Amino acid sequence: MTLSPSSTVEPAIEVKNICKSFGFRRAVSNLSFEVQRGEFLTIFGANGAGKTTLLNILSGRTRPSSGTAKVAGFDVTEANPKMRKEIGVISHATCLYPDLSPLENLEFYAKMYGLDRPEECAEKAVEGAGLKKRRHDPVRTFSRGMLQRLTIARATLHQPSILFLDEPFTGLDPLASGALKDYLRSLHTDQRTLLMTTHDISCGLEMGDHIAVQIDGRFALMEPNNGLDPVAFESRYMNLITGGKEG
Amino acid sequence: MREYLNQIIAIVRKDFLTEMKTRELFSSMFVFAVLVIIIFIFTVDLSITRSNEVGPGVMWVAIFFSGAIGLNRSFMLEKENGCMQGLLLTPADRTAIYFGKLISNLGFLTLMEAFILPVFMVFFNIDLLPHFFPLLLVIFLGTLGFCAIGTLLASLAANLKTRDIMLPILLYPLMVPIAIASVRMTGKILAGEPLSEMLNWMGLVLCFDIIFTGTAVMTIDHILEE
Repeated sequence: MTLSPSSTVEPAIEVKNICKSFGFRRAVSNLSFEVQRGEFLTIFGANGAGKTTLLNILSGRTRPSSGTAKVAGFDVTEANPKMRKEIGVISHATCLYPDLSPLENLEFYAKMYGLDRPEECAEKAVEGAGLKKRRHDPVRTFSRGMLQRLTIARATLHQPSILFLDEPFTGLDPLASGALKDYLRSLHTDQRTLLMTTHDISCGLEMGDHIAVQIDGRFALMEPNNGLDPVAFESRYMNLITGGKEG
Repeated sequence: MREYLNQIIAIVRKDFLTEMKTRELFSSMFVFAVLVIIIFIFTVDLSITRSNEVGPGVMWVAIFFSGAIGLNRSFMLEKENGCMQGLLLTPADRTAIYFGKLISNLGFLTLMEAFILPVFMVFFNIDLLPHFFPLLLVIFLGTLGFCAIGTLLASLAANLKTRDIMLPILLYPLMVPIAIASVRMTGKILAGEPLSEMLNWMGLVLCFDIIFTGTAVMTIDHILEE
């Protein structure tokens, strides 16, 4: 499946027939799609549909059992450091050291990404996350919303061109959720490529310019989001995940 | 190369910063090592056995046992909040992560040894000062081998549910050659023999240090992969 077939530029994400099995269970099944640069793809799917496994494959953390996937032009199986410089990942885990402060955490990651003036980068990112007042407090004392803001700051510290988001709105209050939406919109406006998995239909439709529904490891639906009606889409989605078939 | 070294330094700095804030690792290692020495003091009759004969064994048992606690803890830190996942997503080479953790573990264990040696001197009534530099070399080589293979196995065991049990089970059999050589060399040093008399033992430890580090460099990519 291709989102923008007319484009001649190399796609940001190119997936061809990838499969991933854990023992006898297939988490991703013969999946093929492309995401062009600057596009925002939202993937919906029930628990266990294989969304997180797909993100793990695309971010190079898990090897596919078969098939090929390219991200930013790099083969995901080659563990290319250049590819890792191009991607940012926001997953269920914060990847933050609980005993260190936000400043120390981000400075550490800035050094690991080989950024110039890591202290300055960390300072700027902490300020951008709205945590300047608590920049010296240990991260373990932070609320879920603060942690999520810091996680996003960590994942975008190196200005990645592609961002993978695994259910980023989970556990956020409406205020934090609104702030995250604004931030993701600004990244999208900035021509970054975003791939987000979510259960939240209204939020997913609001954010993504393309949508996909993943069921049993494969995309049951993939189409541009030209102002899809959340109510109508939800009924289609429920129909798909409860066993009905579509295109 | 500069970026590679900076990444190693960043990991070491982060580990020491965390330890300075929590003081969990050093205190548990030190207390455990002191307990091992005390237990041996009460179980070995030093009026019959000479301290110089039994002392080196006790010292290395204390170092290796308490070191295993440190190794386990060092990767637990990375597992908390999925930090290892964050580390693996950075462009850092996997060997840089290994060397960073190796240097951290070596640093913590060396620091613990600096505190445990005076305790050992007092309890066993052995004067280590006349043999200070040869002893330092032997302790460094033994500790390096222990940390080289220990860091690799700790990264492997960190993914297992039974990591607390698995690390010693995997580590101690592999440590046998280094343990024997280190104990023998320490005994000879305390008996006043020069280093030139124990070149075979030293070569053995050095070989194992190189083999363990080489094995780690070759396999760490696969071990750290999910």
